[in-house]
Amino acid sequence: MTTLILALIIGAVLFGIGLYGALSQTNLVMIMMGVELMLGATMVNLVAFWRFLHPDVYAGQMFVLVVMTVMAVEAAVGFGLGTARFRAKGSVEMEEAAELKG
Amino acid sequence: MTMLLMIVPIVVGIWVVATLESWVSTGRFRPGRPLAAAVAMLGQESLVPRRPDRILFEIAPPILLAAGIAATTVLPLAAEVIVIDLATGGLFVNAAWVYVVVALIMAGWGPNGAYAMVAGWRFLAQLIAYAMLTVMPITAVAMRAESLSTTAIVESQASGTWNVITQPLGFVLFWLAAMAVAFLPPFDHPVAPTELAGGVTAEYTGVRLAIFRLGRLTLILTLAAAVVVFYLGGWLGPWLPASAWTAVKTLTVVAAMLWLGRWVPRVRSEHLMAWSWKLGIPLALVNILWVGVTLWAVDR
Amino acid sequence: MMPTIFIALFGAAAIWFGVRVFQTSSMVRSALSLLGAMAAIGGMFLAMEAEFLGVLQLMMMATEMSIMAIFMVMYMMDPGGLGQMDMSHQQREALAAGIVATLLAVAVALLVNWGTVAKEVDSTTVQLRALGIEIMERSMLLFETVGVTILVSMIAAIAVAVAREPKR
Repeated sequence: MTTLILALIIGAVLFGIGLYGALSQTNLVMIMMGVELMLGATMVNLVAFWRFLHPDVYAGQMFVLVVMTVMAVEAAVGFGLGTARFRAKGSVEMEEAAELKG
Repeated sequence: MTMLLMIVPIVVGIWVVATLESWVSTGRFRPGRPLAAAVAMLGQESLVPRRPDRILFEIAPPILLAAGIAATTVLPLAAEVIVIDLATGGLFVNAAWVYVVVALIMAGWGPNGAYAMVAGWRFLAQLIAYAMLTVMPITAVAMRAESLSTTAIVESQASGTWNVITQPLGFVLFWLAAMAVAFLPPFDHPVAPTELAGGVTAEYTGVRLAIFRLGRLTLILTLAAAVVVFYLGGWLGPWLPASAWTAVKTLTVVAAMLWLGRWVPRVRSEHLMAWSWKLGIPLALVNILWVGVTLWAVDR
Repeated sequence: MMPTIFIALFGAAAIWFGVRVFQTSSMVRSALSLLGAMAAIGGMFLAMEAEFLGVLQLMMMATEMSIMAIFMVMYMMDPGGLGQMDMSHQQREALAAGIVATLLAVAVALLVNWGTVAKEVDSTTVQLRALGIEIMERSMLLFETVGVTILVSMIAAIAVAVAREPKR
């Protein structure tokens, strides 16, 4: 088994854990943590691809920087929405946010 | 080998910092006091508060110590005397300091005490505000050196002037940020002895407190050494051997930081935040622009 | 051989911490477990010789997960996890989705012919220079867009979250 496949499998397992967390948790902040874990898994894969397939193409590292920015953006917007929700309703439990279905 | 070589100056440095700290806070110069205090703390019973978050309570002091030690590994004592000369040293040293906040949050949350928790979360706000002010001046320093390696940064100051002359604004910002990251007075919110009864250290006694203190002294030493490496020319200087220059400069910076803190009252938390976000960060951007323009002008 | 061992070790640590995130009922522990997972991912980057990305990951995630921790404490009813509240739903479906996604990704990793694997990478000094040139030349537009995006998201988050004066 090559190291590349090992890294990809680790990434896949982390992605699965993150997906499980994002779907199974009821709290906004916990859901965000699941999403962060999924983004972390994508970064593992990207770095593995850069390292083992195209180490001379630095757009690969650039892509990782973009994903890190996505994490920061997700955190900022998520906490902003969470704060607004908490001010309005006093909780960020998603079970209590069913009216957002419309 | 270099690692062993580095342990001796770090231990001696910690002892001197501890002596200086007790000197400025009590007004009496007693070189034996750090040792006596350490022996007393090791002999003390190490209490565990009621219903703690045991894991966080136990690992917080070692993490603080580990963060301090990690930061020392990339700071050079002389041209060849450095544990690991990372190509990303200027970034790594920041990464090590950021783990101070992790340690303090654990120490604040773990013991299940109100004062400690307030102090821990306060330090989170303080460090996020001031970590920006350590990163951005280092960016400007790295621009001059065209490298993030700490040894390359010192060598860039060999030809001509030290960074403190060419980047005075960055020097002042980094100095203040260093004091805030090491929570020295007047920025000592997480341990504030008079208003939070010791803050994050309130529930720690005995061996754990000894490790915590040791970690903090290491942290102060690394921040002073970083000021020297990034702005005061590191090991550069006439007559004395290289490592002696680093030691003398570092301890002078430590003494100046402690002396400065003695005469300034503790800054209020919200003023601290406002200064960093509204004043410090725009000034740090001005510093980067200033350095870029001067480098470009010198180049031509 | 050594990098493979380190990748496996850090990967195992990341997976263990990742599982711990959703097992504990203490919110601070949960956030700090996520920090552990992210730091282990940073360690994997270091083992894969992407030194800059690894150190950056270690640095950014420490602050980000600390912020997560304080938001957890602010917005959860039981941040210490002492009340043993259950805060999950649709456990079975979520678990199934997680396992299916993992299996699919593992299958892709195993079935695709990845071709030849690169043995060597540039030294970190060369890497940093090349990454800087990449950012400033080919990916400049992308980098600028990312910068503007993060600025916009900051403004949007503050605009959404700011306290409004009650109407008179």
